[in-house]
Amino acid sequence: MAINQLSLLVLVPLIIAVLNLFLPVILRKILAALGLVWLLILNYQLFINPVAEIVIQGVAVLAVDKLALVILTFIQILAVIILVFSLKGVSPKIQKPYYVLYPLTLAFCNGAVLSVQALSLLIFWGLSGIALYLFNLLGDEKTTPETAKKTFIIVGGSDVFLILGLVLIWFLMPHNGGALWNLKIGLSGELAYTAFFSLLIAAFAKGGGFPLHSWVPDYSKDAPVEAVAFLPASLDKLLGIYLFVRIVWSLFALNFGIHLFLMTIGALTIIFAVMMAMIQHNGRKLLGFHAVSQVGYMILGIGSGSIIALIGGLFHLINNTIYKSNLFLALGSVEKKTGTNELEELGGLGGKMPLTFGFALVGALAISGIPPFNGFFSKWMIYQGILDLAKGVAPGYQVWLLVCLILAVFGSALTLASFMKFIHAIFLGRRPAKWDNISRAPLNQWLATGILAALCVIFGLWAIHLPITKLILPVIGEFGFSVPQMLGYYNPILVVLLFGTTLILGLIIYWGVRKVRLDAIYLGGMDALEHFRVLGTEFYKEIRDMKPLKAIYNGAEKKYFDIYDISGRCSFAITRLFRAIHNGQLHLYNLWIVLGMLILLWVVL
Amino acid sequence: MIGMILFHLLVFPGMLFTAIAGLLVGWLDRKVSAWFQFRVGPPLLQNFNDFFKLLGKETIIVKDAVKSVFVLAPLAAFAVLTLIATIIGMALFYNLGFAGDMFVVMYLTMTFSVMVILGGSATGNVYSSIGAGREMKLLLADELAFILVFLVPIVKSGYQVQFDQILSYQQNAGAIIGSPSGIIAFIIGLLCIQAKMTLAPFHIPEAETEIVEGPFMEYSGPLLAFWKLDHYMMYVIFPFLLVVLFLGGFNLMGLGFLWSLLKYLAIVVVMIIIKNTNPRIRIDTTLNFFWKYASPLAFIAVILAVLGV
Repeated sequence: MAINQLSLLVLVPLIIAVLNLFLPVILRKILAALGLVWLLILNYQLFINPVAEIVIQGVAVLAVDKLALVILTFIQILAVIILVFSLKGVSPKIQKPYYVLYPLTLAFCNGAVLSVQALSLLIFWGLSGIALYLFNLLGDEKTTPETAKKTFIIVGGSDVFLILGLVLIWFLMPHNGGALWNLKIGLSGELAYTAFFSLLIAAFAKGGGFPLHSWVPDYSKDAPVEAVAFLPASLDKLLGIYLFVRIVWSLFALNFGIHLFLMTIGALTIIFAVMMAMIQHNGRKLLGFHAVSQVGYMILGIGSGSIIALIGGLFHLINNTIYKSNLFLALGSVEKKTGTNELEELGGLGGKMPLTFGFALVGALAISGIPPFNGFFSKWMIYQGILDLAKGVAPGYQVWLLVCLILAVFGSALTLASFMKFIHAIFLGRRPAKWDNISRAPLNQWLATGILAALCVIFGLWAIHLPITKLILPVIGEFGFSVPQMLGYYNPILVVLLFGTTLILGLIIYWGVRKVRLDAIYLGGMDALEHFRVLGTEFYKEIRDMKPLKAIYNGAEKKYFDIYDISGRCSFAITRLFRAIHNGQLHLYNLWIVLGMLILLWVVL
Repeated sequence: MIGMILFHLLVFPGMLFTAIAGLLVGWLDRKVSAWFQFRVGPPLLQNFNDFFKLLGKETIIVKDAVKSVFVLAPLAAFAVLTLIATIIGMALFYNLGFAGDMFVVMYLTMTFSVMVILGGSATGNVYSSIGAGREMKLLLADELAFILVFLVPIVKSGYQVQFDQILSYQQNAGAIIGSPSGIIAFIIGLLCIQAKMTLAPFHIPEAETEIVEGPFMEYSGPLLAFWKLDHYMMYVIFPFLLVVLFLGGFNLMGLGFLWSLLKYLAIVVVMIIIKNTNPRIRIDTTLNFFWKYASPLAFIAVILAVLGV
């Protein structure tokens, strides 16, 4: 009997994970690499030959449609690229569990995307959350256990909402037998709304949407960098937003008010997270807050209800996984050479690690939305979609939509600011003498970051021809929509050709007249001592100290806006209350019993 | 086809036209500034002499600098400005959408600041790094208001985002500056471009007396020539942008040409007057000014535009 390809996408990494429990490290690496390449080939074959769904006892459990195929494709691509980075550089202490968890996570994520039945989705979704937790435990920071607990509580806790949402859907559609997706449930009545918001919580917690985002920056700092690039930057984003697309576009039929609500959440996610990213002193935390901020663009685009913005949102999901993993891995290369990810300790490494610098710069420009990189194209489509929506609504709603647009565009400028600080603090500015003997990153590391940087360029230049036409438009077609006319006009290839022509002309002029002399830094005759150095971390001190931002930043640093901490404080307050009333005095216990009985009687009678 | 594109890019309205016009308007800036200070000012072609003289000078590069970035930054900035000039010029002179729309131009203007920051930071000089940080903060300060200013013509024209369509709308409905929302947005826009060009009172990143030209401190010879040229090119690009967005574009036939020239020169002269009558303000004051006063005002303009006013 031929094995269904879909089951192979789950079984192959699962078997690799089991075998890797017993193999020596070198064989674990080889097996994982071979297995992942095979998965990539299997995934490619899904584009060519449609595969039948997997049915167990008359119920379809695993199946692949166009949307699932896009998500699966990028899961396999990123898994291979991040594995290339991991081949040399993963801390020897964690290599053994790392190469078990890596394929295991892949199996669970593939399973979750392929699931078309509530129970299998729940199982794979939950297991992928456990893998996320276990990966976090491989970190060696002092705060790692606390972060792992936080991650587990937020992501694992959101699984309760996933269960609730799916059970309610079963109540709403009892004849459906737990089958998911193309249900188009109308949002009317408490049950439908509860189901919608429950599933939304699950998607936001996994993807890192506001206000359930707070595990992402902490995880980014405390887990191994490869795990961060693999999960919160890539696979978890893909899973969370995948569920979000399903909720918004195929599971429910939303009304305009809900679209407006989602767009507002998206815009707020962008701006809150990027404002936090700007003031970070730790490179990984900075990137972690950006991992959240970029989710805002996806929520804004996908949640808007506009087809153009949906395309932009899906494209942004793909783009984000590419440049975000690129940035984490580039920082990882620096971290492995210097032993630190604190921005204040770094600086001037651009000359020592030119390839890593170049690739990180491409990622930084792409995430900031600088043309012609991929990030600009997806943002540009989201903006078009919002304007297209605004055309047809009442003035009040127009202003609301425009505010979302303004926050998104300004969020881009803030992202740029944050990444100029990142690039300056690590690669530019004055290099401390202790880094004078730093060597380049190993081949496997810059190969991984290089491929990701190349994808940022390719997906930017040929956005329409490659990712949009080949991957995203079939999804839109399957949803039953046609693509409307765009408002704007942008030809990235022409932009690059025009820019390149003038740049080359400038270079020819410079080359023709140049008379170069190398000299020391000029400080008006003073010696350029090392402590005359701008760290970059204080770039935005004036913004940090501005009224009323100062109070907000102070509150954020005390974790007043962190849902995990707020919940923790509330639980402790309740516990304290209970502790106070249970003081060991018998007559007080008798009083509680009598009071309890009276309340019960009042309720019953 | 390729020949025409190259002509537009390299000759008119792109590189050569913008560079020559920019150097000439730069002379006007220096001359008017000199009159403000009771000086005679330079001769007409002084900026050309300066540019070509700098091309012949030595290029000094800091030994420990990231040299590729240091060299490429002013040239890439020059290429970005030429690109913006071509896109805006094609709309202004030919009424054609070319290469990109308003969002593309909005992001390309940010790219110029990126080049200033990268070029300045590449040297490791403390003053350059301070200047680079200030350049970024200045961009943040004016960008919010700049986005809002862009939105007014977009909303007024019925959500058009291509320059030629904005011009077509104004040809039918009259210049956008003729409306209350248009006037407010135009004034804020003028202040934004003053900041984008780092002209007084917003010359905070360069602050000669304080941080010795900031990001440009280590630049010399041909690379400095390109930075100077970039600066003068902006004297053409940004006023042209305001002309397209708010003043209904150019009419190049007969007396219309004179009127068009006057519209452009009026913007430039106002910028020069602001430059010469204001001292440099601190970066936190700039942030407060743009975020707490200019941006809310520009937002009111957007609301008025939505209401059709």
